[in-house]
Formats: sequence, structure tokens, C-alpha cells
Amino acid sequence: MSIWEKMLNVDRRWIFLLIGIACVVPFFTPLGLPILPSQEVISIYDYIEDLSTDNAMFVGFDFDPGTAAENMPMGVAVLRHAFARNVPVFITAYTPLGQGMAGMAIDELTNPATGDYFEYVNWDAWAEIRDQGFTERADIEEAWLAAGNTLPENARGWIFEGRDIAFLGYLPYFHLVILGMSSSIVSQFPTDVGGTPLEEMPMYQDHKSLRDIDLAVTTAGSSACVAWITYGREKIGLPIAFGVTAVMATDYYIYIQSGQIIGQMGGLRGAAEYETLLLDNDYCKNPGKAYIGMDVQNIAHLLIIFLVVLGNIAFFAGGFNKKTKLKGRR
Amino acid sequence: MTETIGLWVGAIFTIGIYSFLYKENPLYRLAEHLVVGISTGFGIAITYTQVLRPKLIEPLANGEQGAWLLLIPAILGLLYITRFFPSVGWLSRYPMAFLMGAGMGVGFPLSMKSLVLRQLEASLTPLYETGMAWDIVLGNIVLVLGTLAALIYFFFSKPHKGPFFGTGSKIGIWVIMVGFGATFGFTVMGRISLLIGRIQFLLGDWLHIIK
Repeated sequence: MSIWEKMLNVDRRWIFLLIGIACVVPFFTPLGLPILPSQEVISIYDYIEDLSTDNAMFVGFDFDPGTAAENMPMGVAVLRHAFARNVPVFITAYTPLGQGMAGMAIDELTNPATGDYFEYVNWDAWAEIRDQGFTERADIEEAWLAAGNTLPENARGWIFEGRDIAFLGYLPYFHLVILGMSSSIVSQFPTDVGGTPLEEMPMYQDHKSLRDIDLAVTTAGSSACVAWITYGREKIGLPIAFGVTAVMATDYYIYIQSGQIIGQMGGLRGAAEYETLLLDNDYCKNPGKAYIGMDVQNIAHLLIIFLVVLGNIAFFAGGFNKKTKLKGRR
Repeated sequence: MTETIGLWVGAIFTIGIYSFLYKENPLYRLAEHLVVGISTGFGIAITYTQVLRPKLIEPLANGEQGAWLLLIPAILGLLYITRFFPSVGWLSRYPMAFLMGAGMGVGFPLSMKSLVLRQLEASLTPLYETGMAWDIVLGNIVLVLGTLAALIYFFFSKPHKGPFFGTGSKIGIWVIMVGFGATFGFTVMGRISLLIGRIQFLLGDWLHIIK
């Protein structure tokens, strides 16, 4: 057996081991390679940057744990941006497991242990302020401060449940749910996942249907995002942004070109680009998981390119393009 | 305590799943079956608490006005279960027929518009306009010619010979290969991203040796 044939017959477990090492070592020796945000990610960032407390957006956690490594950082980054700008956010899920993912994202952003979080004020905690008739975001915060509350150290701000966030969760046949929400959100989600009536929420009073919504960001690990295009964009002209897995990214670039979506985060890189924008604009103190993972990604890609080139050299140098089959196991 | 147990369970099953890369083993099989079982169980629980209870059981139990109408979709839904009984299995075709008919009726016009007509419209772009940057012009030419060439490759009613069909289909296969290459690149990136996510969990959340 020639050297070339031995190379082509190498036990694939050695390659798995090499990839494993390439994915672990950079965590301990970060290279700090620059991450340059692409235009399709900047478009989403700029769009949210222009929103304020008078607007509202949907964030769809339309993925399962299988793609959480890619989709979760996107969802967390977009939520962080929206919370920091006090943009009211309705959170939905296309699948039952997506609801769990959304819950984890909210936990991550409201966990004091992270050192850079938002203080979550649940619905009952600010009942007295609502009873006094305050519904505007600035008035609510002023009344909350006047009530003797102080923002904890390391907290970026408050999230008032029902004014800044409504966790609507999962419903089956979500494409029909989107269609129904184009007439009325409350017809599909009478309550949030905690049982709080949507009609009592101040954020609902200003945004009763998808026609009153300014943006929907779907972080998807499946074709769920197409439902937002079909039933949200085409039906009522709702602006849509995608956060999709890398595998899906090439399939959905066409929607940018056709102007059906305002932008797209593709895979871990897309999430890292959004995190870079947040970091550069002081929306967070520390880099997120996607940002940290990009060094590892770069090294792993270099190794894979090297192996692909090596495999091709062995294939052609060994003359296997002219032979019907290899002598070894392949 | 609960969180620690969760971390350990997650870590053990992550290692169990990746142990398949060495060879198949009982821990991998256990993890694989648990993923399927727990996902299904979680889905059933969420569907019950989010859908069945508030939208069917409670309105019927509370005797809300017009709640009896909910019995129609409820009975249609229950007909799915007849699939398990061969003698009455044909009844399950009714809810399926309803769903397919309603789904087609609702989805077809919008899908046609958003997935086909909009894309067609986007492909009918002017190659050049006054003041257009050269890179945009080049992009438009590649877009239009690439789309046409790929379509010619999939046109099988004429032999792929001659200057139009022969050359067109050859360019088409190159365009398709470039598309496959880009998809493969993104797929590699995606798979590595998933591995990175698990390594961050193992080294960070579980072992606390990285941030």
C-alpha cells in the first residue's frame, strides 16, 4: 500500500481527535482575531437601534436544543439589544422545546450571577404602579424609583413584565398563529405562559395585532422562519429579520436579495457579529459565547481546509482519479 | 443542588453522545433514546398546559358561551387515534383531509407569492442602470445568467448539446457546484459551531475552567 493510499485510508477517528483538539486548545490561548460585522447583520442592528419604547417587536425562538449552540446566542443578543433600548418584546416559540429555549435566554439575561444583567420585575411586583394608572415606560420607571427601589450594581436596567416583555410561548401550527395574530394577538395568546392576561398588559394596549408591530426576528433551526415571511411579510408587510443556522444560511440569502427580509444572522458567525456590534456600542461588558467561539471556529476551519487539501493531493498524486477503487477499506 | 444535578446529567450525556465517534456503545444508545423520549414528553406537557387545558378543557368545564363548538375540532382531533384500530382506521382520514384542504387553501396563495413570485421578481433585475456601480452590474449579470444556466441544466426535454443547451448546461452545473460548495462550507461551520457549544458547556458551565 502506497503512502498516498495509507493517507486516504486513515482511521477517521484520528481526524475526530484532531478536530477535538483544535476546538479545545484555542479556548485556553485566545488569538483575538477580529470579527467584522457583515452588512446583513448591521442592517438588523441598525433597525433595532432605531426602535424605541413606542415600538414593539417579536422575537421567535423557533429552534430546538439541537441547534441552540448557534441560535441561542442570536436570540440572547437581539433580546439584550431590545431590553437595553426598552423596546417592548413579545417572545414566541414555533416548537414546544423552543419555549424552553426562550425561557433559558430570559434567565441568562436576568441572572445577576452573569454580572451584566437586567433586573426582572415580575407582573405582581409592580401592580401598585399599574393601579396608579402609569402605563408609559418612563413614568413606570420613575414611579418604581420613587417607591424606593434602586437598580442593583451590575444591572443594566429593569425589565417590567407586561411593559417590556410578554413571554407568549408555544402554540401548535404556528403559521396559522401568525395569520391569526395579523388580526389580533390576544385571539391567539389570551395569556402569557405565566397566565397573565395579555389584555391587561400595557404593551399590548399599544400593539394589538402584528400590524402594530415594527419587527419580527426569528431565530430558527428549521424552515420555521419561512412561515414568518409567508404569513407575516406577505400578508401584512411585517418587517422580518432572520437568525438561522449556518446550514440554512445559503438557502435564505435569496430573501435578502429580494428585499423580503431586512437582514440575516447566519450561524455562530452571524451571532458573533451581532455580539461584536453590541460590545462596540457598550450594550454589554463582556463578549458573548459566539464571540468567544469564533477563535475556535477559525482554527477548526483552517485544520479542515488543510485536511481537504491534503486529501486531494493524496488522491491525485496517488493516481486514484484514474483507478476504479482503492485497495484499502474505502 | 438541582442545577448541579442538571449540569452533571447534561455533561454525562454529552460525553455519551460524542462517544459514538469512537464506536457505538450502550451510553450512546441510552442518551439517544432519552433525547427522543424526553423531547416527546416535554412536547406533550407543553401542548397540554398551553393548548388543550386553556383552549379546550377549561372553556368546556366552565361552560363558557359557545364552548360547545370546541367539541367539533376536539372530535376531529380524536379521530386521529383511530389509526391504532384497523377496523375504524379510515376515520382518521377526515381530520387529515380537513388539515390538508385548509392548509392548502390558506397557504397556497401566500406561499406562491412569497416563495415563487417574489423570487421571480427579484431575478428580473435590470443588468445596468445609469450611475450603477460596476460591482453591482457584475453581480446582476452573474445573478441573471447563473439563474438561467441552472434552469437550463434542469431542462431535460432537449439534449444538452449545441451552443445554447450544451454551453448553458455546462455553466449551469458550475453554478450549482458553487452553490453546493457554499452550502458545504456553511455546513462545516454549523457542525463545528455545535461542537463549540458543547465544549463551552463542558469546560465552562460544568468544569468551570473557561469563562
